[in-house]
Amino acid sequence: MTDFGALLAALGDCKVEYIVVGGAAAIAHGSARLTQDLDIVYRRTPGNLDRLVAALAAHKPYLRGAPAGLPFVWDREVLQRGLNFTLITSLGDIDLLGEIPGGGTWEDLHGGSIELSVFGTSCLCLSLPQLIRAKMAAGRPKDLEALAELETIQEERGE
Amino acid sequence: MKDPVVESYKKDIDRTLIRENLKLSVEDRFRKAMALARFADEMRRAGREARARRA
Repeated sequence: MTDFGALLAALGDCKVEYIVVGGAAAIAHGSARLTQDLDIVYRRTPGNLDRLVAALAAHKPYLRGAPAGLPFVWDREVLQRGLNFTLITSLGDIDLLGEIPGGGTWEDLHGGSIELSVFGTSCLCLSLPQLIRAKMAAGRPKDLEALAELETIQEERGE
Repeated sequence: MKDPVVESYKKDIDRTLIRENLKLSVEDRFRKAMALARFADEMRRAGREARARRA
């Protein structure tokens, strides 16, 4: 089980610049759907990559679904060479995304995002309209039901 | 413009669950989700055990 609080605290303690997206962002907005992992869009500046490496290093990050024993070095170079990483850690599953369809990069998203204060830390999270746009852009069949719920939340809030 | 597929899904959304969640703080929404995930893990474990006993 993913410990959302511990993951957010680990990222916050190292002052990582990131935005919560996906199912966890939907939970923050009131979704009743279950999600297994924490999805974040992270800022791809050298300093932030170093902070992200430091935040997760103690929690044994490894490529999710990869065979055990595969050499995997968790450092800034690896992050620079890739964009999106699906990881398993001792705190649970986390997806690190350099950008998302319908939203773009951290720089594109952070101005419209909202600030959450949770588990003794604060973090940015997609606003409900941003989340709806991202789900629409993803366009996967499984997103349609999630999209219906997000739009219902918007209606219930009177927005 | 409304997507007709999304609109058709909306008919089956349980608004009572959403209304209850909207009464909670964001942190409590995460706590509730983690409790549900723990419950789901426990049910999967129990299911595996029951299948193994039957085999």
